[in-house]
Amino acid sequence: MPEITNCIRRLRFDHDEMTQESLAVRVGVTRQTIIALEAGKYTPSLALAFRIARAFNKRVEDVFHYDVPIKE
Amino acid sequence: MMNAEQKRAWLGVVTGIACVVGYVALIPFLGPMAATGAFGLYGINGIAPLIGRKEHADERDRSIARQATLGGAMASYMAFIFGCMGTWFVAFAWHGQEQVSVHLVATITFVGGIVFYSVRSVVVLVLYGRHVGADNA
Repeated sequence: MPEITNCIRRLRFDHDEMTQESLAVRVGVTRQTIIALEAGKYTPSLALAFRIARAFNKRVEDVFHYDVPIKE
Repeated sequence: MMNAEQKRAWLGVVTGIACVVGYVALIPFLGPMAATGAFGLYGINGIAPLIGRKEHADERDRSIARQATLGGAMASYMAFIFGCMGTWFVAFAWHGQEQVSVHLVATITFVGGIVFYSVRSVVVLVLYGRHVGADNA
């Protein structure tokens, strides 16, 4: 299971059913990368995470979630 | 739909297999030394940069290419070192020879190159099919 999960698919549908291709063009990656992101098969760079969040007018932590607890 | 990197990787895998098949097929006719000419087929990979050169590569593609190149370089280095040192072991320990053919140098170097491109191609295909983390995150 990926450590970083995301809700890109839900956010796309919440934004007038934005297509993967449209999102890919807006954030400057290929559609295959958006598919891999949604499937949890790719962990994006910090810069790409920010660009995706801005494409949805959200904060990074609203789009990406890191649920692994920090070791004390 | 495959992207340019995957197409180049498949070209590497197919030509690698063609070289080995050609080599094995030519041995009965030409002998093991002359049959190594079959590996010249690997030169077809020279057209790889022409495949999808106008295609846009994003950070995931670059990350996969970097990791595959590293994997290919590691495998190539191992093959080269094992080939060089293994030659002495086989010659001295098994056959009691104090000299080896100069052809072995070229062969081992060539095998190192083949291993690099073949392993890199396989790693590219594997990484596109599984979880990959951005190494510039």
